[in-house]
Amino acid sequence: MIDFEEELKKFQPSLEVEEAEDAIYSQDLTDMTDILKEMLKDMKGAM
Amino acid sequence: MSHEIDSRVYTKILHTSNAWYNEALSRAKVRDLSGAAECLRKSLRYNKRNINARNLLGLVYFEMGETVSALREWVISKNFQSENNIAGEYLDEIQKNRARLESINQTIKKYNQALLYCQQDSKDLAVIQLKKVLSLNPKMVKGHQLLALLYLEEGNLEQAAKALKNAEKIDANNLTTLRYKNEIQERTKATGGNSKKKDENLVSYRSGNETIIRPTTSFKETSTGSTILNIAIGLVLGVLITCFLVVPGVKQSAKSNAKDEVLKANDSLSSKNQEVKSLESKVKDLESQLDEQKNSADSADSRVASFEQLLEAYIAFEDGDVTTAGDALANVNPEHLDETTKAIYDEINESVNSEYLASLYQEAYKNYNNGNYAQAIPDFEKIVQMDESYRDGNAIYYLAQSYRKNNDEENAKTYYQKVVDLYPNTERASTAQKYLSQMGADTETEE
Repeated sequence: MIDFEEELKKFQPSLEVEEAEDAIYSQDLTDMTDILKEMLKDMKGAM
Repeated sequence: MSHEIDSRVYTKILHTSNAWYNEALSRAKVRDLSGAAECLRKSLRYNKRNINARNLLGLVYFEMGETVSALREWVISKNFQSENNIAGEYLDEIQKNRARLESINQTIKKYNQALLYCQQDSKDLAVIQLKKVLSLNPKMVKGHQLLALLYLEEGNLEQAAKALKNAEKIDANNLTTLRYKNEIQERTKATGGNSKKKDENLVSYRSGNETIIRPTTSFKETSTGSTILNIAIGLVLGVLITCFLVVPGVKQSAKSNAKDEVLKANDSLSSKNQEVKSLESKVKDLESQLDEQKNSADSADSRVASFEQLLEAYIAFEDGDVTTAGDALANVNPEHLDETTKAIYDEINESVNSEYLASLYQEAYKNYNNGNYAQAIPDFEKIVQMDESYRDGNAIYYLAQSYRKNNDEENAKTYYQKVVDLYPNTERASTAQKYLSQMGADTETEE
């Protein structure tokens, strides 16, 4: 049985056009290649 | 060796990213948009510079009605690769049509408002708002889902199913949609018998976007008598409504109109009264000005007359006609003369008076001796007015005599009394007293 109040919490407000800029700047763009580079950098530093 | 391992790991990462992209593409082709979005997000976790994956994620968001999220992905994509990037075309397309972008933004705001209504427990308002949102942007998957949730909460399973069907047309395998569909199935199973029973008593049909449900039973008249009775009751109700609701309203309206008119009339009257008062005061001012003008004109006329008389007196005096000069001088008002003319007046008056009085006395006495008392009286009167003691009271004495002989005893008594008062112990006084006594005792007796 679905609980209306609990389901409602899963719905988040949509981003408005005015918020687009903030959304772009706050996007976490870290990927695996960044992590790999970081690891290699650390390894080279340790050697 | 280490460098070779690094290169292999890097290649492996890129391959994994591409693999997730391929998976997403497969899902997108069968309209599993939420599944595709999940795969694309994973792809970008491996390689943020996977332009195809990022562009496709933007496209998926756009298709699901998440326009701002789509714009975000395309802007980032364009930032990573500015040349030969289809994201640029997408952005240009949206930026060209500002009205469309504004409309999308309004839709998003309305959706957020609907969500707020839900949180404030205003479900009816939320449903209305969501219907507006979906009429403007039918691709908004979460709008359909929220509408379905609201219908589920209301127990309107049919409408909930319809909303979910619309959501499924855009995003086929959305987990939320599937969960709600499952809920509907369970509820339908649980209330299956009851709903069938309900359906037997209800008729439902669609009017535009609304489903109208009404009872199948209808009211039927059984006899002509009851029809007439109903009509009569209707007429009576109509009359009563007219009497108790409509007529008082009309009367009230008429009264208020009349009051308004009276107030307006009062205002108008008071303003008119004020105008009348101001006009009256103006009239008074003008009248007073006119009187002043008249007075000054009269004064000017009398001044002119005084000057004319003085001139006439002067000419007569020069010609030796003392009587005419004296008559003219008597008509001159010295107050109207200025200093120069007043000096002339005084000079002539002084010279004329003695000659004039002498001439006048001579004429009056002559008339008296000839028995012309009526003609003598005015001359004696003039002399007495000018000089009461003229000829030691002779003028006044003969004036009294003239009056007595002219049978005017009242005036005679006045002047005899003056003789007695002014010249006591003289022969004239005793004679005057004698006549006074005679007139007091016997008015018939004469000298």
